[in-house]
Amino acid sequence: MKAHNVAVIGVGQTEFRSRVDNQTYPELAQDAVARALIDANLQPEEIDAVVYSMAPTTFMGVADADKWAVDYIWARGKPFMRVHTGGATGGSALQAAHAHVASGQYGTVLVVGADRITETPDAQFVLNLIWDAFYEQDFALNTVTMTALATQRYMHKYGTTERQYANVVVRARRNALNNPSAHLKGAIDIDAVLASPRISWPYKLFDICPRSAGAAAVVITNETLARERCTRPAFITGTAGVSNTIFMGDRMGPHADTDFADFAELRQAARECYRQAGITDPMRELQTVEIYDPFSSFQFPQLESLGFCKPGTAQRLSDEGAFDMDGALPVNPSGGTLCTNPIGVTGLVRAAEAARQVMGRSAAMQVKNVHNALATAIGGSTQFFTVTMMSDEPRRAPAA
Amino acid sequence: MDVYVMGVAIHPAADAIGDLRLEEMAYRTARAALDNAGIERREIDHLTLAASDEVDARGISSMLLAAPSGGYLKDEMRVTDSGLTGLHLGAMRAAAGHLQLGLVVSSNQSSVVPLEDIARMRGEPFFLRPVGLNFAIADGLFAGAVANRYAISAAAVTERVLERLRSAARNSRAVARTLPQHDEIASSPCLAYPLRAGHRAPTTDGAVAMVLASGEWLRAHPGHRPLARIAGMAWGADRYQLDGERLAGLDIFRRGVEEVLARAGLDGVEALEVIELEAQNAWADVAFSQALGASARVSVSPSGGTWAQNPFFCTGLLNAAEAALQVAGQAGGHQVEGARRALAHGVSGFAQQTHGFVVMEGVAA
Repeated sequence: MKAHNVAVIGVGQTEFRSRVDNQTYPELAQDAVARALIDANLQPEEIDAVVYSMAPTTFMGVADADKWAVDYIWARGKPFMRVHTGGATGGSALQAAHAHVASGQYGTVLVVGADRITETPDAQFVLNLIWDAFYEQDFALNTVTMTALATQRYMHKYGTTERQYANVVVRARRNALNNPSAHLKGAIDIDAVLASPRISWPYKLFDICPRSAGAAAVVITNETLARERCTRPAFITGTAGVSNTIFMGDRMGPHADTDFADFAELRQAARECYRQAGITDPMRELQTVEIYDPFSSFQFPQLESLGFCKPGTAQRLSDEGAFDMDGALPVNPSGGTLCTNPIGVTGLVRAAEAARQVMGRSAAMQVKNVHNALATAIGGSTQFFTVTMMSDEPRRAPAA
Repeated sequence: MDVYVMGVAIHPAADAIGDLRLEEMAYRTARAALDNAGIERREIDHLTLAASDEVDARGISSMLLAAPSGGYLKDEMRVTDSGLTGLHLGAMRAAAGHLQLGLVVSSNQSSVVPLEDIARMRGEPFFLRPVGLNFAIADGLFAGAVANRYAISAAAVTERVLERLRSAARNSRAVARTLPQHDEIASSPCLAYPLRAGHRAPTTDGAVAMVLASGEWLRAHPGHRPLARIAGMAWGADRYQLDGERLAGLDIFRRGVEEVLARAGLDGVEALEVIELEAQNAWADVAFSQALGASARVSVSPSGGTWAQNPFFCTGLLNAAEAALQVAGQAGGHQVEGARRALAHGVSGFAQQTHGFVVMEGVAA
């Protein structure tokens, strides 16, 4: 049985900020859905199924928040499921929705998520609880200290400097000036990043994403409906994911299958994604990427593992401006996760921004002549990875 | 659907499994499902996990469960609604064209967590949480609503508990239980009128795994024999509010049955030989059975249902495994003779806010 081609025909995002006190959680989700439906020119009854994108509920303290939102997002009576893969949740949710349509089970699917990270006084305390209670929680691990360890390993391998990471932050905040939904934005310089308070070496405050509240939604459908409803849909031409062990110690050393400094899992996922999308030379065939970068150190290993450059060379290309808006590969025209991180939704925002680039709807963030745009998401102890390709035509290859 | 069940495994059930970590239960069950299918882990290309952070008492439960469940360096994804939802997603992934052979794994060790405290954290903070809503109260509201609507009596509910326990006694995978007297059930503590403690199915620890293959993979590997074909799937969510119409209407249940039968190409429930229901209490069991309207020819919950074992989060997936075994003729002591098509049912949320269904169909030799 041939799989159905699938395309994004509408996206919606609220503004992201530290707190949203004038809306309840389900009202926030509803806001994004309404925007996505308007963008897709659809009525709620034209949605066949709903996939809910929500990471740990502990930030907000309502464990069934997705089911609370059912009535608000017009999901009553519809097939409904929640996907949760930590920080990769949004990427996984979109890929789960893709499976709804590609399998022929449903025609038009809504993916929606909302998050309110600052409802908890200390998100990093909550994030400590994601680790194993017996072996790891007592090490004071949280997502900052965990990724700082990986960053130190990357710096040791490739000689990366704090200044080179700071340049990533400067570019992200500058790009975010064009994004009306972005949480953090502004014209800052490298010295400002370097002067921000030290958090966990090599991170300073500005190397780290904000804790954001907001919501996003995406409408996907099959090719027939997409052609009817949208002048330039963004076809989902590649979907891949890779999951690794929780234990970082198992991801280093001579016998490890992957190295946790390099995000080598992404290489495997990208290979499969490119195979499906028929991409053989990503630097030439992709016009932009929206990658998951909650820390300034997340861009270089991802760009290398995704095949845009060789290991250890992304930092030099970054310095030379290759990833700027007018560079060879504009990276995160939206400002990326460094500027906006509603964790359970962030992967979906990346995919939404990549889709909008293909659809030509990115306004001031628009990169010219986008035929292929890629989105990533990363979760767990940097152990869950998704790669999704958006293209202007449905050139998806069958299974290998 | 062009998706097949190649192997299943059900972890030995117990009221409490205290000598294994959840990861060990998941590993053993995934391993057993692969062995049952005659497939090596390296051959699979994806894993679909179904697990609840709150029930597993972890921030992101799949961080620990993904690798032992077979997901190491595989395309892994997780749902949090119920084990049966994992099967729904896993089957769609196998039918989506780029994935061919995968595992669905769900595990549950609710003996070590206070489920009613978790239930309170599920309530929205403005109305439901302040009134102390938990599973017992939600189920009590449901019981009262269906009792009024369908004239279900406490005596009928008591008899249903005994009927399920008698069926469970024939199920070698059931947790062994003594058959109580009528009075023991009827006079058990009242939890939330009219729901009594004796009306509820006891929760157990357990795990379930299933190997799924696309039809394309199966045709390319003729040496492998499937247990069942997934003939149809359907699921839906009702509104969050626990008003009388939502509780007694059983709208999503009825609509789900209708849709899954249509997707399976069946005219009605009489085209089935077996139905495995997830009923967390006997009021729900009686109400669902009445809504189905099946004749005595159709065997409902021959395994004993939730009174055989009830690994809370993955009970729906357990029902799907039982359905697959029934149509494969491998159910054991509770095998229904001539079972060709079996319907599995699962629920999630307060008073069954969601219902899910799968029809398993036997595959000719």
